[in-house]
Amino acid sequence: MINNGTTDGNSTPTRPRPLSPNIQIYRPQLTSVLSIANRVTGLILSLGAVGLVVWLSAAAAGPQTYRVVQDVIESWAGQFALFGCTFAFFLHLCGGIRHLVWDTVHGFELRSIYISGWTVVAASIVLSAAAWTISLFVAGWHP
Amino acid sequence: MIIESSDQVSRLSWLKRFPIPRNFKVTPESRIERGRTWPAPADAKRVKAFEIYRYDPDSGGNPRLDKFHVDVDDCGPMVLDALFWIKNKVDSTLTFRRSCREGVCGSCAMNMDGTNWLACTRFISDLGTNATIYPLANMRIIKDLVPDLTHVFAQYAAIEPWLYSKTPEPEKERLQSPEERSQLDGYYECILCFCCTSGCPSHWWNGNRFLGPAVLLQAWRWLTDSRDEAKGERLDALEDPFRLYRCHTILNCTRTCPKGLNPGKAIAEIKKAIVEREK
Repeated sequence: MINNGTTDGNSTPTRPRPLSPNIQIYRPQLTSVLSIANRVTGLILSLGAVGLVVWLSAAAAGPQTYRVVQDVIESWAGQFALFGCTFAFFLHLCGGIRHLVWDTVHGFELRSIYISGWTVVAASIVLSAAAWTISLFVAGWHP
Repeated sequence: MIIESSDQVSRLSWLKRFPIPRNFKVTPESRIERGRTWPAPADAKRVKAFEIYRYDPDSGGNPRLDKFHVDVDDCGPMVLDALFWIKNKVDSTLTFRRSCREGVCGSCAMNMDGTNWLACTRFISDLGTNATIYPLANMRIIKDLVPDLTHVFAQYAAIEPWLYSKTPEPEKERLQSPEERSQLDGYYECILCFCCTSGCPSHWWNGNRFLGPAVLLQAWRWLTDSRDEAKGERLDALEDPFRLYRCHTILNCTRTCPKGLNPGKAIAEIKKAIVEREK
């Protein structure tokens, strides 16, 4: 768009034409909310990857450093962040599969869009719960 | 909640807008100020409140939000009827585009209660108690509910929406089988109201370079036409990180199309066609 507020550059209004509101007024819908969620979870996973490297480096550095990092992870805040990362992982994974299906030009009927969307949400909740149940069952609970 | 078709109105009354500041990313000239409130007629029994975006280019002031009270018993059933009622009985300066009043021309596309639709085919009763009416989102505004569509129509012209032929002209018309003709179904019905393009977050952020769903649906309408002989050139023009690939399959377009078309699917078809020819 041209900066004087017109889009053709021919008309010259005395002041720039206002831009009508977009994100400020547009109704949140499953379509847009899941798209934003896919972005945000991708960001969280990048941060989680940094956390993974910190954890591995600490393990390589020695038992004392590892203990410090492990204490952080085992704190309530650490457990909360870890669960958040798990949920972000599954939401991003399921969302990614949904996008792969779309790339084959399938599932574009509005009904399918909404069914697959809610399936992604439900599957991520179930998979996160399952992953934590299994890991707690295997490793035990050490608060 | 499963949405079956785009004319279904969301019944969720909470979270009508994203939880961000009202003036998030808004430049000074676009900030919306409080407008005036017009009272309901004294004898009105059933009254509905409408908050309507106003902008008067001659006043030198900013856009504002006026509140009108419409006597629903004295007014037709559609949002367009309410706008006429206001223009005739309350404030004759209220400005909006309209023509066919039956969902064919696409002139009265606007944002009602947060989603884009045609004012002539949206029931007043489908809007919440405090109905909000804005012009199409993310458009430069000429006056009130009238957006400047120059840019989106220029984008439409950029995809060259006409037939290209290289073969010699036949003696009669260029024939199409019923099967070939059916390839255009779901695409030729587009009325260019730009509800989808105006509802597309990718077009909000990259509208100067991303063509947007309406124009890309039209692009596919010509790509899939059996009589067109410029498929390669059309795909070459579209294969661009911005023009086509700023589409992230958000699908607000398919959710909002007042004709029930599927711009999201058309764009996926284009992306697939580009992949397939590179094999």
